[in-house]
Amino acid sequence: MHISTNPWVWIAAILTLAIYSFLYKDNPFYKFAEHLFMGLGIGYGAVLLWYNSIIPRLWNPLAHGTSPTRFFLLIPIALGLLSLGIFSRRYSWLIKYPLAFYMGAVTGLSVPVAFEANIFEQAQGTILKHSMFSNPWLGISNIIMFIGVITTITYFYFSKQHRGLLGKSARVGIVYIMLAFGASFGYTVMARISLLIGRMQFLLHDWLGIIK
Amino acid sequence: MIMFILLSTITVKAFDTPNDGGKSITIKAYNVPETVKKALVYRKTEGDTTYTLAGVMSILSYRFMDADSTIKNGKPYYYRVDFYFPDTVISVEADSPGIAYAQWYDKTKTSSLIFLIVFSTFVLVFIQLAKKDPEGLYIRKIPALDAIDEAVGRSTELGKPTFFVHGLLGITDAGTLAALTILRRVAKKVAEYDTPILVTNYDPIVMTASQETVKQAYTEAGRPDAYNEKNIIYLTYEQFGYTAGVDGLMVREKPGAIFLQGYFFAESLILAETGHSVGAIQIAGTTAKEQLPFFVAACDYVLIGEEMLAASSYIGREPVMLGSVKGSDWGKVFLLAIIGIGVAIGTIGSILQSAGNGALMNVFEKILAFF
Amino acid sequence: MLKKQIPLAITFITGVIIVVTFFIPHPPFGRLQQDALTWYSVIFGFTMLLGVDSLVKFHYTKLRRREKGWWFSIVFYCGFLLSFITGVISEIRFGDAFNINSSFMYFYNTILVPLQSTMFALLAFFIASASYRAFRARNIDATFLLVTAVIVMLGRVPVGYMLWHKLPDLTSWILNVLQLGPMRGIMIGISLGTVAMSLRLILGIERTYLS
Repeated sequence: MHISTNPWVWIAAILTLAIYSFLYKDNPFYKFAEHLFMGLGIGYGAVLLWYNSIIPRLWNPLAHGTSPTRFFLLIPIALGLLSLGIFSRRYSWLIKYPLAFYMGAVTGLSVPVAFEANIFEQAQGTILKHSMFSNPWLGISNIIMFIGVITTITYFYFSKQHRGLLGKSARVGIVYIMLAFGASFGYTVMARISLLIGRMQFLLHDWLGIIK
Repeated sequence: MIMFILLSTITVKAFDTPNDGGKSITIKAYNVPETVKKALVYRKTEGDTTYTLAGVMSILSYRFMDADSTIKNGKPYYYRVDFYFPDTVISVEADSPGIAYAQWYDKTKTSSLIFLIVFSTFVLVFIQLAKKDPEGLYIRKIPALDAIDEAVGRSTELGKPTFFVHGLLGITDAGTLAALTILRRVAKKVAEYDTPILVTNYDPIVMTASQETVKQAYTEAGRPDAYNEKNIIYLTYEQFGYTAGVDGLMVREKPGAIFLQGYFFAESLILAETGHSVGAIQIAGTTAKEQLPFFVAACDYVLIGEEMLAASSYIGREPVMLGSVKGSDWGKVFLLAIIGIGVAIGTIGSILQSAGNGALMNVFEKILAFF
Repeated sequence: MLKKQIPLAITFITGVIIVVTFFIPHPPFGRLQQDALTWYSVIFGFTMLLGVDSLVKFHYTKLRRREKGWWFSIVFYCGFLLSFITGVISEIRFGDAFNINSSFMYFYNTILVPLQSTMFALLAFFIASASYRAFRARNIDATFLLVTAVIVMLGRVPVGYMLWHKLPDLTSWILNVLQLGPMRGIMIGISLGTVAMSLRLILGIERTYLS
């Protein structure tokens, strides 16, 4: 046994055990770790935002840039300042302006991306091609996949009652969905267990030196 | 002799890179023997006496895109490509200079444009039809949304608060907007039943939107005085810090009902399991398909993907909203029709191709490439 | 008008412009999408102040009123000030808070990373408890979930091969074929739903964000 003498390893180990104590029940050690975590998290987030967003996208172009179009950045600054109106009861409604810009910009961005990246690629992959039937087992597998896509889409058909053919198709769809969820669940179990192994290795090797 | 043959077969063309904003020229080589080891592209402009290295051409596609910052639109650039073979180097100049231009329309996005127009037409048409005949609209049962009243009622009976946990994405996420709609319904119910509510937020803008939503809900329920801004809290901007905070609140406050609504990542199972351990009825909803299995395993009701996005139509039952859902459904029918037609053409084309006629198969390949 | 109509008009105009510029590569339209993302991140920087303010006020109120668990708010402030001040000091000293030798990164690696990893590692326990409950198969749908989950779990470990040598192949087939169809269907549904919601937002039909 070779216990670590590094105080920071001890701090990390104590915080690890404090978080794990939550599995038993809520206690002051967990509360301490929780509040420390939240404080560190918000401080880290603020610094990250400053360095990844404000400095490269705002400060550097305005202070050191040469392009005349950089003064358009005054518009998002103005919108950002409007959002601070929330601090005043009288002017709290001003946040609707930056919010409106957000919504317009991001929904505008998401519409074509949804088509290109999600819908078309998935649809193209679903269309059965001759090459998918190079051997009988591959052909059967692709038909099963094809049926899965079609029936799952019919499950999400909202504007008609699920009766008759639509109802049967939707029922098959939900069965497919449950099978898929089970597969995802089973796939992730090992990955999650390995996370625990990582922390155990830290405690037993780095901290206590019990294992090599 | 071999050098002469190689020189006479290899051709190089320089042309404007299509479907872009300009300042880019594509250089393509044709009839290059497979024994080539590498190919270097050189560039010069009018007035230059010597070529300068522009880059390395791919010997898989024999294509090089010159998007150097010095390239200007409308100016001719001359190119030469040096092909390195095992025993020799062949230099071939482009038969004409390349001139870059900016295009006003990206042809590769035509399929997106067509589908956008078709889909938007469906949505707008059904919204108009819905305004004329609101009774003719139907939306199927979504059990998780029907369970909202039951969950809040149970919480009230037990004398416990109701928790609403937002996901980790901002207000620009469709799932987060859907969560706000559900929050409005939940908040209205808790206002009517006089049950405490606690709303946790990861994003500061979602927090302000949640405050406005809950305030509005309390006003609609006739209880504006009962609204307490301090019940809508911002925890932190760190994924697992948020999870730790929500978990701590769950075990301390012991809510009767928990709503996990929004986009979640790995922390989904931690939140759902902690919620189950305190004995709360849980209704989850997310568009994160990777987390759905965990919510299905751990929660009582789950809104699967698009069911969450239909929440605003389901809860409000406004004709206009129901019309847009119907329009969206017709978009699915259109997509299924395209897939079906594609499969039919591909199947028939394949049969005909094996009989010696490949025309329909060519059509099929073009349809696939169009996507 | 100022509180409803103008924001709706901003959403409509911005949304339409951004959608249209997706199809037009010619400057200045081709750049507009990138510029919109830049503006979005700048505005978000300001709104972060709202979150910090909310948290600071929340914990200050707890401290001032000596509410239950008030001294944990001191811990919160310590954590916040630790990361924030070291960020500022590191910037002054190194010109970059994320310099590997900076005190900011040191505290990140020695305190924040272990906390994150441990919270993440809690999943090992929670997935075990979720599995226990999920596998009790209350109804036919849960049975389907149970069957594929057990097959995939066993198929990914050596004992699965020992039980049946074809189990890893069956697992691979379930993950690459059986699972693919529904996941595609769900993704298509979510994408179409997102587009429908985006259209409702741009047209001003959906106004949840304005409350």
